[in-house]
Amino acid sequence: MYRKQVRRRRAVLALLIVGSFVLLTITYGQGSNGLQRGVSTIFSPVQGVADRALKPARDLVDWFDKTFDARGENGRLKSELAKTREQAVAGQEALQENAQLRKLVKLDGSPALAASAYQPVAARVIARSPTVWRSSVNIDVGSGDGVHVNDPVISGAGLIGRIASVEPGSSQVMLLTDHESAVSAKVVPSGVQGVVKPEVGDPETLILDFIDSTKRVHGGQTVVTAGWCAQGLCSFFPPGLPLGEVTKTSVIEQAIEQEATEQVDVRPFADLRNLDLVQVLTGGSRG
Amino acid sequence: MILTPKMVARIALIGMVGVLLQLSFFSQVELFHVSPDILPALVVCLALLGGSLTGAVAGFSIGFFLDCLLVEALGVSSLVLLSVGYLAGLFRERFEIHNSLLPALLCMGFTLGAELGFGLIQLLLGLDAPVSVLIIRDLLLKSVYAFFLGWPLYLLVRRALRPALVEEPKVRRRRRPKALGV
Repeated sequence: MYRKQVRRRRAVLALLIVGSFVLLTITYGQGSNGLQRGVSTIFSPVQGVADRALKPARDLVDWFDKTFDARGENGRLKSELAKTREQAVAGQEALQENAQLRKLVKLDGSPALAASAYQPVAARVIARSPTVWRSSVNIDVGSGDGVHVNDPVISGAGLIGRIASVEPGSSQVMLLTDHESAVSAKVVPSGVQGVVKPEVGDPETLILDFIDSTKRVHGGQTVVTAGWCAQGLCSFFPPGLPLGEVTKTSVIEQAIEQEATEQVDVRPFADLRNLDLVQVLTGGSRG
Repeated sequence: MILTPKMVARIALIGMVGVLLQLSFFSQVELFHVSPDILPALVVCLALLGGSLTGAVAGFSIGFFLDCLLVEALGVSSLVLLSVGYLAGLFRERFEIHNSLLPALLCMGFTLGAELGFGLIQLLLGLDAPVSVLIIRDLLLKSVYAFFLGWPLYLLVRRALRPALVEEPKVRRRRRPKALGV
């Protein structure tokens, strides 16, 4: 009797393990399947209700967390405010000058202004991946709202990621901090270009890589999306979306390729750990 | 544990509520920049009460449901959580749980194991970005949260599954019969 039980237990365990590997083999890298679409469609409204119902409790926990953070941030924010005031004044002047220059060189309608063709769709974050190894959130808008795969997603502070998969009533957003994420970006005002990638496990640091080391990047400079367009192919992201601020730069010598690349640490403007309301930029030109 | 259809439905409901709570609440709150992960602890609790088979099946199902809702590759969470459930159940079958702190400690240990398991599978599948040292902080804090959340979770799950639990009756010390006149 006992032996029979042990055999049955081992058989079930083996079946489950084999089942997991089969599922993994079939579905890895294939995007969403019919089953996931069905489950997601059924449970999206439930998740939406749960999200709204649990918001007060989340806010309470956030309040505790932010109180700890606020002590350290107060001094830094004061000095940043003074600096930002100066930049705001300079920015106003630059805006006027920019408008005049655009008219002069007739840039209207060029790919650089593709951003204007995007239609923002507001969305609420309804779920978040629990493990640090994946960085994605689910939002409550989907293909029914005009959302497509690879649409850029922004928050009030800047770019947060892009749509990885779409269901009728919900979508999955791959955040900038996901290990598969890569965004072509440039540093302003220097114009140095590179690719922004995450550092897994550290949501406050992105890495701007593949930079020509002959050009210098300094701390405090802003990183925005490059939004390139070449030979009919365009980046998923419109140009000029704020990504983050340069915090540290370091030159890395490549022993094999005999050349040096500069690696820049970037602190994202958007708080990727606390996302509530976001916007999906639908439409526009995609590569 | 005596598994009747009603109890299976109750375990399934516990799993579903756990996953929804994780996605809608625990994943979206942070203390010291780290979100708690209650799912390994939930699987440990089910395994400690139901044994290795119940733990493995519950872990697989909870992982499957989680991957379905997150629209991730199916099988990753199932594999990790079924291992957690099976090992926790095996522990319960081999050793007696005398200390009331033990479930919480097991939740802590298995949560750390589950996070390392997720990392290992992700490394095997290919990680396209460097890994920060801060991930150690994340793993350790997740385990500490599992310790504190594990105990109330264990009590709640035990309460929900009480009708199915086979508990040994408390042995009462019999009063020795007194000789008449003494």
